[in-house]
Parts: sequence; structure tokens; C-alpha cells
Amino acid sequence: MDVKIFQFNGCNKCFNETILLKENSKYSVQLISHPKNWKEEKVDVAVITGYLLPEDKEILEKIKANSKRVIAYGNCTTIGGVFALANQRGHSVIPIKRIIEPIIEVNGCLGEIEELKLAIEGSEKPQLKNLCDVCQRKRTCHYLDEVHRQIELNENSTCFNDLGFLCNGFIAKECKERCIEYNTPCRGCKPSVERSGIRMLGMFGTLMGNIEVATEHSVKGATDKLADAEDDVTQSLPDIVGNFFRFTLSTSGLPKGRIPSTGSLLEDVFTGRLIEELPLISGLLGGDKWISLTLKIIESYEEANEIEVSEETKKNRNKLLQLEKELQNAIKEEDPKLYRKVTDDIRTIAGNMNLSNIFFGGFKSQIKDNDNFEEYKTQVFDVVEGTYKNGSVEFTIDPIGIVKDIEIKEG
Amino acid sequence: MSECEYIEPEVLDKIQNICVFMCNECGQGSANTAGVARMAYEPAIRIVRVQCTGQVGPIQIMDALNNGADAVACVGCCLGACHFFNGNILSMHRIKLMKKLFKELGYSDQFVNQYTSRAAEGETAVGDFEDIVERLANAIREEGTIKDGC
Repeated sequence: MDVKIFQFNGCNKCFNETILLKENSKYSVQLISHPKNWKEEKVDVAVITGYLLPEDKEILEKIKANSKRVIAYGNCTTIGGVFALANQRGHSVIPIKRIIEPIIEVNGCLGEIEELKLAIEGSEKPQLKNLCDVCQRKRTCHYLDEVHRQIELNENSTCFNDLGFLCNGFIAKECKERCIEYNTPCRGCKPSVERSGIRMLGMFGTLMGNIEVATEHSVKGATDKLADAEDDVTQSLPDIVGNFFRFTLSTSGLPKGRIPSTGSLLEDVFTGRLIEELPLISGLLGGDKWISLTLKIIESYEEANEIEVSEETKKNRNKLLQLEKELQNAIKEEDPKLYRKVTDDIRTIAGNMNLSNIFFGGFKSQIKDNDNFEEYKTQVFDVVEGTYKNGSVEFTIDPIGIVKDIEIKEG
Repeated sequence: MSECEYIEPEVLDKIQNICVFMCNECGQGSANTAGVARMAYEPAIRIVRVQCTGQVGPIQIMDALNNGADAVACVGCCLGACHFFNGNILSMHRIKLMKKLFKELGYSDQFVNQYTSRAAEGETAVGDFEDIVERLANAIREEGTIKDGC
């Protein structure tokens, strides 16, 4: 079987993952990183990765016309993905469904390679459970008194949402990346329902029942009405778009954002997000420099605010940087064996390919069973207003912790 | 309707459909009372009867807005007087988050609102309707309708 992988815009995380298809000799795999230069030829299966813009329409239609089946692989292609956050600032990242149909979708950030293999072979999609059904944490379902932005690592038996820490597990399917196992709540990259972000917003709004909402006297109605003023409800969730619509902004049915753009699409993805979410977003971006970008963001903040970092943490971070270089080699040579080995090593330290385990001040969960977790454990940190710079990255945060502007010079 | 402030015809023209979810208890009760007393209200108001405003969530609100509503409002029982338990308060939490969401996307937060009314007093419902139209008119004057951005 002839399989061709087409990478459109954005990070190459899913595209690189398809190197693993070469392990299987059943089909011939060809990776095409610049679909614009592709000479039209007949293809059995075309796999599309990366986020799409309206100008990609022409090439996509060409691919569709020449292939027997089209598979969209990864969230960016299927539902807009993390890059669709830039739609808040007027960009138009669109899901593949608005350009060509029908297509087979493999969701996930990173999309699972086993599911892609099944889709290529034409098998049925596996029936997946909801993430909450496979989560170890127990629900209490009490109204929240407070919403927390950072989690205390000592409590690991209660549902994140009941601890006041937004987790999208309710609307997500089970997955292999499993952020929840690294003390990171689910970001909802494999939605189990349509318009998952809006549903989650309703769910979490209900859960916030004990938090005080501002009301005021209505002169005309002579009764009470909901006030427009800031209150505990709005202050406890400073970035609704980034937290609830991280992957689904372009498919959520919300109107397109009218906030002025701050620069490039990548910078618009980061602007408006919270400081504690920054490593989680840059960790999603993939590419071949994403580990160093994430660590640069973290280290710039740590240095400026004198957050202590242990030797053990530094050692593990350096290992990750080393692995990033090895990964670049594996990608360059398109060597599936090396790629699998390096990504397995990255997963051991960083939790998953979304780098869920990396955080300010250390790591969120134990890396090896026999090492001392206390040595490199991350702590709850204070949000400090200011401008932070480290090499190619420079960002400013406001007193609440929202990124006002960010500049990323490379990649 | 004498207290209603003047709304320019071009703004009024943009207010065609306002979807108002009214709860079966106080909301509908006050609307009934207003009807018995033959009180007039803005013809753009379309009432949808629901058991409790706690039933209305972001999904229903977005469905209404995506299908032609210019604004959505909920009218429930007075604070502490929900006929179930606390449906009106829960609805307020969700609508407050929706308001913030619209602000984050660069829109006015007046496209969704929540009010309360008293079943025995028809003027509370009519007053709420007037308030909805007035706030929506202000929002349209400043930032245009929600459809301008789609």
C-alpha cells in the first residue's frame, strides 16, 4: 500500500511521529514536508498533518482528487488544535472538514500511531472509554469554594475538578499520553463529544456553585439581576478561551475573535494565556526545538524570581536537551528504531511528548521508582509581574499572570 | 413603555430576535401576570419556557445565538427563591462565564444576561425585557451585533 504523509503548517510533532509507520513493511511510506512542491500522482492513502489555513484549499483538493482515502491525523488538522487559539485574535485556522469531505479522523495531540495504523488498514475505530472511567482519582462532586490555578502535589486521590483545578477529563476519551498521570489535569485533546469546550464550560460553571457571583438591583425590573462587574467567578478563571477551548476554538461554534493580533500566529497562540499554562502550551507545540523552548520559558521565570532549582532537576533537564538533539538526528535520518528509542526516553523523563511532567521549579511526578522525588519536586509558585527574557524568548506578564506579549525569534 | 429610552431606528432594526428563557415558576408566572394586565413589551422578545433556568447552559445559549438570536437572556426566580434548589444561581455562574468568554473574544458581554422576576408582579418581567433591549442597543451602538464578527 502506498502511503503519503503531507505536513501543512505548524509543529511537526504528528508528522515526525509517522516515521514510526516505517517500522511496518506492509506499506511504503513517503513523508512530504512541502506539499506545495508535490507532483501530482495517484496515492492509496493520504495522511494530512498540521494546521490548515484557507489558502491550503487548492492543494488539499488536489490531494483529495488523487487519493483513494484521506486521513486527518492529529488535532490541528481535525479540530483546529492548539494553533486555533490564534483565532481569538482574528486568524483563521480551520478544521479539515470545512475544506474537504469525507475524511477519516484520528484525534489527539499527539495523535496515536496505533490508531493511525488501524485507519490506514481500513479497520474500524477502537471503542474508547471516557477518561474519567479510567482515572484513579475519585469524584466527590461537591460545589467548589475556590478555584486553584496550581495544584498541591500531595493530594492524588481526589478528582482534579473537585480540588478546584480545571480538568477536561469529563469530555475526553482515554488516551496514551495521559497527562493525568503526571499531576497535570487533562487538556481535552481527544474530545468525546461535539463542542466539548462549551459543554465543559457549563459543567465547570455549575461546579463553581459555592463561589460568589455578583448581582445588582435592576431599576427597571425592580428585582435583582446578574451584575456586569468583576467578581470571584470571573477572577478565578482569568483565561477561559485558553483553558476550555485549547484545542477546539475553531470547531466550538463561537464567533471569530476580534481582539487585535499582536504579531505572528505563533505569538498569538501564547498571548493571553496564563503563566502556569505556558510550559503546557509550548510543550504541545512539538517541532524539533520544543524542549529547549519550554525550558527557556521556565528558566527565564525561575532566574528572575529566584525559584530554587535542585541539581537533580538540572541534571534531568540537561538529559532532555540532549535527547532533543538525538531526536533531531532521528528525524533527519527518518530512522524509526532510533526515533522510538529517543521518544521513549523523553517520555520517561518528561512524562509524555507534551512534556506534562516539566514545570517551574522541578518535575510534577517521580521519574524513576528508586529516586528521591523530594529532591526535584516542583512547588506552588507566586505570580510576579514583569518582563522575562532568555535567549530567543521574551515575554511580559501582568499582575494576574496573563501573558501580555511574547516574542519568539526562532522556530 | 414611557420610561423606555429612545432607540434609533437603525439600531432597533438590528434587534429582531431576543431569545428569553423563562423558568416555569417565577419567570413564566410574571409573564402571565403581565399578559393578564395587558402590559406591552418589545415585539423582538421570544420567550422559551423552561422548567428552571438551571436547565439552560452554554450549549443552549450558543445554539440560540448561532441560529439567529441577537441576544439571549434568562429570567428566573428571585435570589434564594428557586422553586427547585439553586438553579437560578447555577445559571448565573454559567452566564457570568459566558459573558467573560465573549469579552475575551473581543465582543460585548451584553449578548447574554440573567434576570429575576416575581410571579405576582407583571412589571418585573416587562421591566426585565426593557432592560434587555436597552443594554443590547447600547452594545450594538458601541461594538455592533454579534453577527458582524461571524
